[in-house]
Amino acid sequence: MSHYFFYIIASILILASIAVVTARNPLYNVLSLVVAIFSLSCLFVLLEAFFVGMILLLVYAGAVLVFFLFVVMCLNLNVASLNVTQKDRFRWLEIAAGFLFLSSFALALKSCLQAQSMHPSSIRGTVEIIGQILFTDYLLPFELTSFLLLIAIFGIVSLAQGALSTGKDLKNT
Amino acid sequence: MVNPQLVWIAFFAPLVACILITFFLLKSKLLSSLTAIAGILTSFVCSCLVFTQIFQSNPPNELQQSLSWIHFDALTINFGFLMNPLAIMMLLVVTGVGSAIFIYSRGYMEEDPSSPRFFAYLSLFAFSMIGIVLSNNFIQLFMFWELVGLSSYLLIGFWYAKPSAADAGVKAFIVNRLSDFGFLCGIILLWSLSGVGANRSFQFTDLAAVIPGIDPHLLTITALLLFCGVIGKSAQIPLHVWLIDAMEGPTPVSALIHAATMVAAGIYLLARTFFVFEPSMTALTFIAYTGAITALMAAILAVAENDIKRILAYSTLSQLGLMVMALGLKGPMQGMYHLTTHAFFKALLFLGAGSVIYGLHHEQNIWKMGGLLKKMPITAITFLVGTLALCGIPPLSGFWSKDGILALAYENNTVLYVIAAAASGLTAFYMGRLFFVVFWGNAPVAHGKNHHETHESPAVMTLPLIFLAILSAIGGYIGIPHYLFSQQEPEALNMTVAAISSIIAVLGLVFAFMLYGKRNTQDPLIAKLGGFYTALQNKFYFDAVYTWYVDQVQQRVAIFLSQFEKEIIVRLCIGGITNLARNGGKTLRYLQSGLVQFYALIFILGAVILFLFLSKTL
Amino acid sequence: MITLGSYLILSGIIFSIGLLGVMTSRSTLKILLSLELLLAASNLSFVAFSKFNGDYTGQLIVFFVILVAAAEVAIGLAIIVVMYRHLSTIQADELRTMKW
Repeated sequence: MSHYFFYIIASILILASIAVVTARNPLYNVLSLVVAIFSLSCLFVLLEAFFVGMILLLVYAGAVLVFFLFVVMCLNLNVASLNVTQKDRFRWLEIAAGFLFLSSFALALKSCLQAQSMHPSSIRGTVEIIGQILFTDYLLPFELTSFLLLIAIFGIVSLAQGALSTGKDLKNT
Repeated sequence: MVNPQLVWIAFFAPLVACILITFFLLKSKLLSSLTAIAGILTSFVCSCLVFTQIFQSNPPNELQQSLSWIHFDALTINFGFLMNPLAIMMLLVVTGVGSAIFIYSRGYMEEDPSSPRFFAYLSLFAFSMIGIVLSNNFIQLFMFWELVGLSSYLLIGFWYAKPSAADAGVKAFIVNRLSDFGFLCGIILLWSLSGVGANRSFQFTDLAAVIPGIDPHLLTITALLLFCGVIGKSAQIPLHVWLIDAMEGPTPVSALIHAATMVAAGIYLLARTFFVFEPSMTALTFIAYTGAITALMAAILAVAENDIKRILAYSTLSQLGLMVMALGLKGPMQGMYHLTTHAFFKALLFLGAGSVIYGLHHEQNIWKMGGLLKKMPITAITFLVGTLALCGIPPLSGFWSKDGILALAYENNTVLYVIAAAASGLTAFYMGRLFFVVFWGNAPVAHGKNHHETHESPAVMTLPLIFLAILSAIGGYIGIPHYLFSQQEPEALNMTVAAISSIIAVLGLVFAFMLYGKRNTQDPLIAKLGGFYTALQNKFYFDAVYTWYVDQVQQRVAIFLSQFEKEIIVRLCIGGITNLARNGGKTLRYLQSGLVQFYALIFILGAVILFLFLSKTL
Repeated sequence: MITLGSYLILSGIIFSIGLLGVMTSRSTLKILLSLELLLAASNLSFVAFSKFNGDYTGQLIVFFVILVAAAEVAIGLAIIVVMYRHLSTIQADELRTMKW
């Protein structure tokens, strides 16, 4: 039964990611990504990694992508000009690079697929267990990430300050 | 016992003098000349002392001392001296005649403003010549050989502002360089044949021991190559062309270098290293014929010369040819004997000529001279002694030494004897011509260049003349052969040869008197010999041939090589590499396109390739 | 049977799509979004490995990756805003002053 779920969610994920790359309107891009994150979260739950799945939803879809939406709205973009396709002489190279990557990945996978006929283990990534490990073994990285977020805030504020002091008002663009 | 300190002092005294003059005394004529004279006299005194030490015992003492100079695994070169009877005789000649000439130069170069430089060069030359005499191995010999060539260049071109003098200096140096190339090849060949690995040596004593073991054909080649050096330095045919032009230098230079010592260095080399030549009949025959032909040809050319110094230069060439011939006939001692006596009377003749030139205020054409017997008696008498010695009139020294050579030729090879005798006859003829034209008869109306009253030269110049005249006269009786021939008994006098050579000499002088005894304004021979005379005047066209060769052949090759180097090596090869770098850079520049996505693309491509490498697919 | 392999294949496909997006997108916003896709794909493979190997480390890594990704997106968007102010466009091609 669960593999039906897997295939359905996987196809939704793939379609959503394709939509992220190919949609015209930037709003559609962001919303497609939201759908992708949702399906990813479902996959995590399938894998019994509950904590991470919820964190993904809360932080990613909840905060980050909403932030994206804010910016997209603020920038007041001219949708038509965004996707003006110019003759790009490297486009073929890019697509070829992508396929090359895919094929090399498949190659790699071939070897490991035969090697591991694995059954899923019985661990469940619940909040208690993850929390236990986080606050004992991985305490130092945990504390350091708060520092990292502080730095990020500094960066953003200084960037925005510069723009504000020199700049044109957003409303007049 | 021979005292080595004396030898070292004799070796380096002139060098010290040269250094002192160069660094401190270039402003003072008096001090520089005195320093130079002091240097050479020190060497002379030390040589005399060593002479007495060597001949204290019978057999004579010998001494060799060396410092290790270069010492690698397969190559050892020493710096030292080898003192034996041959060396001490040559050293006495060099320092003795050298001292006389140095003293003479004090007077001759009095008026010249740059005479300190002259004495510095003279001292350098003395040092180099002593180096050649004393060296005990080929590399050191070669070093001093080249140094002597350098000193000769400096001295010939002493008046460098005069174009003919500068050119003559260059000519001498280049011709010598040619011969030295062959010489060096011979030295290296001999070294490589002298053993294997570290056994190979440049020392004369070591080489003398291993000569019997060397393949005869290779030995002949080595001997001929070593003889190349002699051809250049001692001005044999075909490299004789530099000696005539070398007369552009001051007369003391001509006396010292181009008569008595430097050109005799080749003969000395042959005698010193005779062990290399002795086993090879081919080489010896070649040497003998070269010498004989040089002697005859130079004598013929001397008949047509009108410059007093050039006539004497040709006579030097001729006598050198005789010495070389003697060595080719396996007579190193006869050759050295003649070298010694020749040093005496040739130096005397040149210094006498210098005295004449000085007295006539630098006039050198013999047809503008005459009747100097009355005006410059001392010069004239000493010049006569020298002339008679050169012609081989008994009982002067030249007779004894030349007779030794002619006897050697008479007994071994009739062809060579005839050539040598002919050369001697011609020698008497042109020397008589010289003497009668310059000194006989009455003075012409226009005398010399400045029409000043001609008078005898000062004592500082005539005293050396007298000294050398005495030596030329008694040189046959002071026992030189005894000291040189100490290993073997000298041969008794061959009466046939002695008689024939004396008669030829006297005939030559008489013939000269018949043609030139009366006062003439120009040479009566011109009319008699016609076309042949023109050939003589052009020195048998040797110079013309060499000039043609250099202009047409050598210049073309040089220009071709220079073009080759410019186009192919520089433009193609070096330019090609630089163009490669430049164009490579130009192409790689496009990677910096400024577009972030292009960079990302390259990044990803790189990652893919790396991945494929790591997965061992590629 | 859902094996590890299926999850990994899925992760690879998402990664390639994200790669294509990064290389071929016109606007910087889309590039940033594709970057998120890349991160998501790698998160998936981490969690899959964690589950199938019985080790919690993978999930913790995912936790930190999400954190850092959030910070990075914030700064990226700030940069895009500044770029928009200066150039009035968010085309990636316009940023080309640092060329040879």
